[in-house]
Amino acid sequence: MALKEISSNKCFEGFQKVFEHDSTELKCKMKFGIYLPLKSESAKCPVVYWLSGLTCTEQNVITKAAFHQAASEHGLIIVAPDTSPRGCNIDGEEDSWDFGTGAGFYVNATEDPWKTNYRMYSYIVDELPHLINGNFPTDPDRVSIFGHSMGGHGALICALKNPGKYKTVSAFAPICNPIQCPWGQKAFSGYLGPDTSKWEAYDATQLVKSYSGPKLDILIDQGKDDQFLAAGQLLPDNFIAACTERNIPVVFRLQEGYDHSYFFITTFINDHIKHHGKYLHA
Amino acid sequence: MDANKLDIPEDLDTIVEEAEGQDESTKEKSESLTFYHTDLYDSPDKLTIFPKQELSEEKKPHIAKQDLSTTAEQIHSDLQKEVDHLAKQYGISDDKEKDEQPFLTSVPYKNPETIFHKPTAPKREKKLLKRNKSIETSNKISQNQNTETGTKTENSSPKSSVLDENGSHLSNESGQLGHHQTKAPEKDGGCVDSEENYIPDIYCITCKTPVKAFDKLFGVHKDHEVMGITAAVEQKKEEMRKNMSKLEEQIVQMENFANHLEEIYITVEENFTRQEQNAEMHYTEVMDMLNTKHEEKLQTLGEEKKLKLESLFEQLIDCGKSLDTSKDLMETIQGLFKEKDKATFVKTALHTTSRLNDYFNTDINLNISTNAEYENTHIDFTEVENLLESIHTVPAPSAPVINPQTPNSATATSLRVCWSLFSDDTVESFQLYYKPVCDCAPGEDQEEFMIKSKETYCTVTNLMPNTQYEFWVTALNVTGASPASENAVYVTAPSPPIIKSNECRSCENAALICWESGNINPVDSYTVEIYKATNGTSDDSVTESIVGIPICESLIQLQPNQTYSISVKAVNVGGPSESSKSVSIRTTGTFFHLDEETAHPLLSVTDNGFTISCAEEECLVDLPYYSKKFSRCIAVMGKLIPFKGKHYWEVEVDENTQYRIGVAYEDTNRNGLLGANSTSWCLRHILTPSRHKYEFLHCGVSPDTRITIPPRRIGILLDYDNDKLSFFNMDIAQHLFTFVCQFCHMVHPCFGLEKPGRLKIRNGIPVPQSVLLSS
Repeated sequence: MALKEISSNKCFEGFQKVFEHDSTELKCKMKFGIYLPLKSESAKCPVVYWLSGLTCTEQNVITKAAFHQAASEHGLIIVAPDTSPRGCNIDGEEDSWDFGTGAGFYVNATEDPWKTNYRMYSYIVDELPHLINGNFPTDPDRVSIFGHSMGGHGALICALKNPGKYKTVSAFAPICNPIQCPWGQKAFSGYLGPDTSKWEAYDATQLVKSYSGPKLDILIDQGKDDQFLAAGQLLPDNFIAACTERNIPVVFRLQEGYDHSYFFITTFINDHIKHHGKYLHA
Repeated sequence: MDANKLDIPEDLDTIVEEAEGQDESTKEKSESLTFYHTDLYDSPDKLTIFPKQELSEEKKPHIAKQDLSTTAEQIHSDLQKEVDHLAKQYGISDDKEKDEQPFLTSVPYKNPETIFHKPTAPKREKKLLKRNKSIETSNKISQNQNTETGTKTENSSPKSSVLDENGSHLSNESGQLGHHQTKAPEKDGGCVDSEENYIPDIYCITCKTPVKAFDKLFGVHKDHEVMGITAAVEQKKEEMRKNMSKLEEQIVQMENFANHLEEIYITVEENFTRQEQNAEMHYTEVMDMLNTKHEEKLQTLGEEKKLKLESLFEQLIDCGKSLDTSKDLMETIQGLFKEKDKATFVKTALHTTSRLNDYFNTDINLNISTNAEYENTHIDFTEVENLLESIHTVPAPSAPVINPQTPNSATATSLRVCWSLFSDDTVESFQLYYKPVCDCAPGEDQEEFMIKSKETYCTVTNLMPNTQYEFWVTALNVTGASPASENAVYVTAPSPPIIKSNECRSCENAALICWESGNINPVDSYTVEIYKATNGTSDDSVTESIVGIPICESLIQLQPNQTYSISVKAVNVGGPSESSKSVSIRTTGTFFHLDEETAHPLLSVTDNGFTISCAEEECLVDLPYYSKKFSRCIAVMGKLIPFKGKHYWEVEVDENTQYRIGVAYEDTNRNGLLGANSTSWCLRHILTPSRHKYEFLHCGVSPDTRITIPPRRIGILLDYDNDKLSFFNMDIAQHLFTFVCQFCHMVHPCFGLEKPGRLKIRNGIPVPQSVLLSS
């Protein structure tokens, strides 16, 4: 599992780097961004995984979200993987922006032709952490996850499916109930097949109903003027209702006037970094 | 003595060096001795000790082997002085000085023969030279000098005085150095001896002597009780310290007593001098008077005598004349009888008879014209008697001078009044009058009191606290009373203040203490005394006092997580009052009380002021209006310490209780709703038919925030440092919301109920770590 450094830029005393490696899960070359704070030069630091949304690569968050200062202050390593396998030459891979390339939906596909490469869930939960812990000064016991939109969905399901693995989870405008929204239905039917009962294993609102494990303190920010909220793609109310019922702590903040963009993320990224810092340093 | 040698580690090294350098030193022997000789000439001191020897033996290297034991001690003492001097001059550190001194003191007594134990001498010399190069150079200078002059002159000091100041200095030093060298052998000799054989390291309690551990194990102290010598030293020191403090007390006492005696001595002396002068004056007066009387008497007597004598004398003359005349007549008559011639006889007889008749006709006074008796026996002594009496009767004294009040001399119920008298006056006692000063009408004067005193001071008791009293004093003696002194106004110390413990508040770093004066009249200032409770022991000592506080509250900086006991004294010119009852302050977390004066009429505060409840629905009509009370929100305000930093408190709520909790400026509109204006910030919980709704209100707006778990224990962090107000669900350490606010001034906690229910407030708890991490 050789890592190839693609870029390295000093940022808030630490380094924002991009590496490339051959993924065994995804059978393709994958890139990921990693921010190594100054503190990681002298101590093992907790790792926060950031999962990006539809159409994104590892570049979006590292160039737009402006998380570096807060991450540096809290001594957090931020790992930002890509959103799907790339260049697998699968038919229809590039046909739409909400399916295939850039839209892995953090599931392990079971349907042909996707099931060989589109194993983003295992990549995020197993392969990538293994790689990161093997190559960087991380504390494997202090890990958390957050994401945006599809990545928010990914973060929520990773945390809910692996009780205790992630100390906390947070999300920006996550797709909370994919089996109920057009994006999720399209992706899940493509990757998982028509049997909707299989879909529930990757649906945060469903997963929360059966969650049992250490208390997760979930922080969700949602722009009130998010076009996809209005379009019924995100459905946070369903998730909140489920959490309320299941007594899962959520603070959901509907932020007046914000949309779905990285400008919205940038505005509240510090709150999220602090939220993660609190649980990773506790 | 030997114990002292224990701390000479440096010399232990030299012992080793010496052992190695034995051969070398013998070679150097003669050289060093020559050096010794020349130096010897430099020292005037030495010359007195070795009157002639140096001259005769200066070339003999064996001088040191001479039996000088008789002078050994003298030399030794000289050496010591010089070593001290040298050490100072060359900055050889104090510890070295200490090291060396015990040697010098110990060695000669112990083993005089080793004084000039030569073989080790050069070694020591070398060492000294190593210590300071300036010694070396000065040595050389003196050597040169000495080789020039040493053989012919005994005293090099004239020579050195030719040099400039530095030069002479050097020569002196070198002279001393020479002696220092002579001292070296004895040092080393003694050192070797004692260091190897006797290093006591334990203390035998039975024998009260330091012994070696070896002796304890195998020697005479085998069965004795022993302890470590360090411990023994500490123990002895402790004992000594105790005794010392006792002694110090005694000294202070004795000094006071001596001062007192001295005062009495001076007073007695003065008094007697005055009496002596008095007596002398009076007796002189009496004597003068007597003398005058005496003279007057003498004069009177003289005059009387003269008069009497004169009169008597006159009478005597008259008497003589009469006698002469009588005799003459007698002779004439006798002559007549002899006359024969009758005619002649008759003629003559006729004539004679007429003469005789004439004579007899003149009255002859035979009475003594003056009384020969001493008549004027009475001497008037009344004046003298008066004078004499006046020696015993003294004039009435003049009015004493009353002193103004001495600051800090009063208590709440007593005053010490002082006055003075004119030194010429004789006073037997004083009468001190006083009455309280009051503003009442001139007609109805306050009752006057009088106290007699033999001294020029008096302590008046049973007075009212913090009250002005007018004093005047008269002096008395047998003759009478003096006029009254001027009036002086004294004031008693105040009553102790009363701490309002319900208004005292604290945080990690400070406490606000509030009190009532406890006095009707104003006092000058207050003093706060702070005691830090030390663990376990109850003997609190005043850790800190804050004086000159003009108002009835004080913000005191304290240390976190400590327990303090704080009391207050009121102070006026008379002095401080007794301490108030103290209040205990624990600087853990932020502690405050609810200000019940702000509570909405429907709100009841129970559980020692930390539970608020409301039983009825709010009814907007018929509510009396109080400016301080919340009249719209069923709320109450807490009194937070006006201290920046972080403050944390918690509120326990029922899941379905509807409330507004947060902070507000003290001047927030009491007729407004918490969070509805710019002067308050709050978390509002209301129940909608569908869900629990949580609002974080300021200026009437709230972000749209959903919380899935209704908090039952809400943590509130007010962070002035970062201008933030944060809310937490403490059961799961969940951060709920943070206001970023620009606090213009201090805010206070507010607790309100929207519907009947109750809130329990917890404070005085440290800020939880989870809160600090996410604030």
